[in-house]
Amino acid sequence: MDFFTAYREGQLAGAYHRVPALLADLAPAELARAGRLLAQLDVNDDEATVIRVAITGHGTLSPLVPSLTAEVARHGLRLRPTVGDFGGYLTELSDPDSAIYRAGAELTLCVLDAEAIFAEVPVPWRPADVRAALDEKLSILDKLASIFEANSKGTLVLNTLPLPHRFTAQLVDHRSRAELGALWREANARLLRFGEQHPGVLVIDLEPLLAEGIPVEDPRLAVYAKMHLSAELLARYAREIGHLARGAAGRTKKCLVLDLDGTVWGGILGEDGHDGIEVAEGHHGEAFRAFQRVVKQIGSQGVLLAVVSKNDLEPVRRALTENPAMTLGENDFVRIIANWQPKHDNLRQLAADLNLGVDAFAFVDDSTLECGLVRDQLPGVAVLPVTGDPALHVGTLLADGWFDVRELTVEDRARVDKYREELSRKDFLDSFDSIEQYLAELGVRVRFAPATEAELPRVSQLTLRTNQFNLTTRRLQLPEVRELAGDPAWHVLAIRSGDRFGENGLVGVVFARRGGNSLHLDNFVLSCRVFSRGIERACLSALLHHARENGITEVFGSYRPTAKNGKVADFYPRYGFTALPEPGEFRHDLGEIVAVPPHVELDFGGALQ
Amino acid sequence: MNTVDDLVTLVRDELGLAVTTSDAARSLDELPGWDSVYLLWLLTVVEKKTGRPVSLPDLLEAGSLEDVYSLVAA
Repeated sequence: MDFFTAYREGQLAGAYHRVPALLADLAPAELARAGRLLAQLDVNDDEATVIRVAITGHGTLSPLVPSLTAEVARHGLRLRPTVGDFGGYLTELSDPDSAIYRAGAELTLCVLDAEAIFAEVPVPWRPADVRAALDEKLSILDKLASIFEANSKGTLVLNTLPLPHRFTAQLVDHRSRAELGALWREANARLLRFGEQHPGVLVIDLEPLLAEGIPVEDPRLAVYAKMHLSAELLARYAREIGHLARGAAGRTKKCLVLDLDGTVWGGILGEDGHDGIEVAEGHHGEAFRAFQRVVKQIGSQGVLLAVVSKNDLEPVRRALTENPAMTLGENDFVRIIANWQPKHDNLRQLAADLNLGVDAFAFVDDSTLECGLVRDQLPGVAVLPVTGDPALHVGTLLADGWFDVRELTVEDRARVDKYREELSRKDFLDSFDSIEQYLAELGVRVRFAPATEAELPRVSQLTLRTNQFNLTTRRLQLPEVRELAGDPAWHVLAIRSGDRFGENGLVGVVFARRGGNSLHLDNFVLSCRVFSRGIERACLSALLHHARENGITEVFGSYRPTAKNGKVADFYPRYGFTALPEPGEFRHDLGEIVAVPPHVELDFGGALQ
Repeated sequence: MNTVDDLVTLVRDELGLAVTTSDAARSLDELPGWDSVYLLWLLTVVEKKTGRPVSLPDLLEAGSLEDVYSLVAA
């Protein structure tokens, strides 16, 4: 059944989880139409995560709302938009009491276009006039960005300004035309660097989107309706915002799972042999090599790569190690599963091995049948069918920014090795009779200390990415983390761990707030990589003992259930907290405190003095 | 697009607005859920459906779906 039929028949109210699959294959124009209908759908707040987006900018931006509604719905999110007044961005962003600020949005979009500059240029004009207008506008935007950062915990999204031909062509001499082109791009480059000075600002580069062949504007709509960016461009921009929204909601994919025959290489391994498949030369070989290069590039940035293929394991290993023309090698993958089991079973097993949810997977396959089966059995997996020409594989893989994050941390670059170490730990575990014996030999070291400035990006990332051991699932962007870390009433305590196999890096964080004689644990987050080693117990024990020594008489903890964090629902009661009448609230009287597990070597210098 | 009914159906199906033929003569502002920017959307969809350009300034002046239809059918 298609989206529109399901909508007409009233099947979507109460079934928002079906929406992403129904929207998956819609063309851009149909997506906007679906967005208009979705905006009118009655959805309970507990049925879908709400993402608040405030929209301001220059010109008429109305097509943005339906497009955004659909784009965030593609990721299972529900849009709550706040739209500013026409052309009101200067006053709205400079007034911390405006509706744009009051929306408390995760994302605030300030959409700008070339007309915002040319409206302030005299007629006739020379490139120097445009330069002056650009300089002035950039300096205002810089101030607005500072005001925004001081008054909002969310992210301000700016965009580069496309330069339509109708402006360059007004200069009849090529020398001036080149000068305009150069100073315009210099201004855009300065805009793109805004993020370096303003951690709360992101800039979307519209140029690569326009390079896909989208018109900048529709002349009639520009003149009569003051819509200076075409509906197509706004829709394409909305798709990028959808990816940001997915990240802000903690739904970035973490693992790219690849089929092999027809996906990573041409031909059939079982028939063509490990040196007969197409991986480098010839037309098809070139296409597969291009795809492998992109996969390797993505893998280098902290995305886990894995294989799930219907093949025998040994020939797959040989292809990945002995074929000299292969770009990807066995070591690029955190796990290679080659067998004849159904792929959805393999994906479930892979998720268990990596301690991830299957919805952290993007799965690429050239078989329509396999794609359909996975989509049907595991709706949380992003299925990317590469069913056509292999030259199009790269586009399919990259179209939806599945792995986009705000910024990379040191941990990201080392992630594949960490997971590989983790699999060694599993093998090590299998050699012991009891978990206690295993842990005793594992040599767990934990360092628990106030987070340093350099650690704050990773702390933010942990709150954004961690779903299972995340007691309140309060997602914090970097500016919010920085604010808490700088607030004397708050304590942002980072957990680092390591063991005989190596360092795990920064794996957890505790947010605590002191008020008089009490301490409130606002959140406790631990990466799924290091579950079940007593790390959380060690840190909680140390913190409770330390609180008692520093004159604190009671410690409160909160738990907010989500679809993902059920396994920590009893975290506080398990360690001696009693449940309060309000659901999800717990209190510890600091009478009897759980001990640090003997197998953990803990380094905690205190934090509350 | 041969009758005003076709236009009403289009508005209902594509915009999800609960309009009927009896609403065609009413002022656009009185239509439940109507937003002036829908006229921009109508321009695109109607031109695609009929293959003929519609005057946007005239469309922006339209007071009712009947007015819109007479522009489109002209």
